Amino acid sequence: MTSGTLTPPSTKDDDLSALPVVPARHPWRWVGVAFVLVLAAQFVHGLVTNPAWDWPTFARYFTAQSILTAVGTTIVLTVAGTALGFALGIVVAVLRMSKSPFLSAVGWTYIWAFRSIPLIVQLLFWFNISYLYQRLSLGIPFGPEFVSFETISLISPMGAAILGLALHQAAYAAEIVRSGVISVDRGQLEAAAALGIPRLRQFRRIVLPQAMRSILPNAANEVISLFKGTSVVSVMAIGELFYQVQVIYGRNARVVALLMVATVWYIILTTLLSIGQHHVERYFARGDRR
Amino acid sequence: MIEVLGVHKSFGSLEVLRGVSLDVAAGEVVVVLGPSGSGKSTLLRTINHLEKVDRGYITIDGDLIGYRRRGGKLHELKEREILKQRRDIGFVFQNFNLFPHLTALENVAEVAGLADARHFLERVGLADKADAYPRQLSGGQQQRVAIARALATRPKVVLFDEPTSALDPELVGEVLDVLRDLARSGTTMVVVTHEIGFAREVADRIVFMDEGVIVEEGPPADVLDHPVHERTRAFLSKVLS
Ligand SMILES: Nc1ncnc2c1ncn2[C@@H]1O[C@H](COP(=O)(O)OP(=O)(O)OP(=O)(O)O)[C@@H](O)[C@H]1O
Ligand SMILES: [Mg+2]
Repeated sequence: MTSGTLTPPSTKDDDLSALPVVPARHPWRWVGVAFVLVLAAQFVHGLVTNPAWDWPTFARYFTAQSILTAVGTTIVLTVAGTALGFALGIVVAVLRMSKSPFLSAVGWTYIWAFRSIPLIVQLLFWFNISYLYQRLSLGIPFGPEFVSFETISLISPMGAAILGLALHQAAYAAEIVRSGVISVDRGQLEAAAALGIPRLRQFRRIVLPQAMRSILPNAANEVISLFKGTSVVSVMAIGELFYQVQVIYGRNARVVALLMVATVWYIILTTLLSIGQHHVERYFARGDRR
Repeated sequence: MIEVLGVHKSFGSLEVLRGVSLDVAAGEVVVVLGPSGSGKSTLLRTINHLEKVDRGYITIDGDLIGYRRRGGKLHELKEREILKQRRDIGFVFQNFNLFPHLTALENVAEVAGLADARHFLERVGLADKADAYPRQLSGGQQQRVAIARALATRPKVVLFDEPTSALDPELVGEVLDVLRDLARSGTTMVVVTHEIGFAREVADRIVFMDEGVIVEEGPPADVLDHPVHERTRAFLSKVLS
């Protein structure tokens, strides 16, 4: 046997760390990028050159006082609907998860009822409630903010809209909160129970912050869909964004330009909401970073 | 300190505890051994009322756990009262169950003041990890935080359910060191473990359980080296080989 031919190829001889590295190439990605860029360029070109988009009208109305006021109304509806809806939704979720069969049934029934009724039907119902109950004082289950009202005439269209949105939102919020809570590991509750942490504190300090991880993306979806869903209340002649542009293009027939005004406002505000979502999610992901 | 008397517990048709009685004196360290499924975890969980017993009772320092005796009857306590009783009973879980969204210090401070929390972290040798989140800690460190948290309510007894069996072998030692330390300082402890060496060294008494009953108990030298019962012998020959 001759030595030398039997020695295995050694990496010591050709030092791998000295070789230049060629990254993997992805030619199809570049094809995709080119394709999308061409489409986008065509679209933008069309927007700019096609006079039917009527940008001068767009520019005139985009920051008009009436439009800004309407944007404000839309924001108020969204914020009030979200805040009341989620506050009530947490209560309904707690009922639904209660060990008491009665309370659990109450929560279940609420969710069942308000998910069954189309939002627009419910809104029109509240809007017309004075025809139904002219002389009764109103006590709404889960709606303590309205118990104090003595007569129906005190429910303004705006009040009815917020009430309707909040009641509708609460049913969905309840299920989102519940899904978040049941996603928390059982061991967490056991540890909290073993430490003798009081029930309410367990929920607030241990369960909810962890549930938020899965609640948030769904909740953000809901807020954004509620935000655009406020356009439904245009049926109640409330001057929110969509109603306002309808009024204006009813007068001047510039339908496309005014729909674009509404669209761009919806896009801007949704973008802001998405940015907010990103930051809130990052806050609740603390502890997940290494 | 702990008195367990004639405790029975079934899950459906499966009787997991069939009349278990056990006394633990103040400052005593009892190690519970037994094959998987013999009811060791269930016994510990009945002691702090995470599981309700079907028959028998448990007292800590003379206080009935989970019930109140009135007019010849046992009345179940309200959850709030049970939670209060549990502050006298520390519990350390096999898989730590730290709160992942809270730092080590916050985990302990959840049941104690900040100063106390720092003190207990120091006691398990983790003062420098106070601001780390559980994910940033090794398994052994996580379990030590969990021990600090269990101590933070200043319990009368501490129960450990296989505190080292979720750990990599090289991390077992640091947790057993903490347990050894606690035992030396006079903490009343019941430890379920498969670490025979630790049992021999630290336990005042070893309890061997099988199929929901205590088969044999006594000082480590007796139970480990001269087991009387066939089942104990069979179990030991398996774990020691
Ligand atoms: N919540 C439960 N529901 C139904 N059965 C259960 C429940 N908890 C425990 N058991 C059963 O009771 C028996 C005893 O369980 P236990 O956890 O007390 O055993 P163990 O001695 O701790 O075992 P191991 O060493 O594997 O932890 C097992 O057969 C288990 O399947
Ligand atoms: Mg077990």
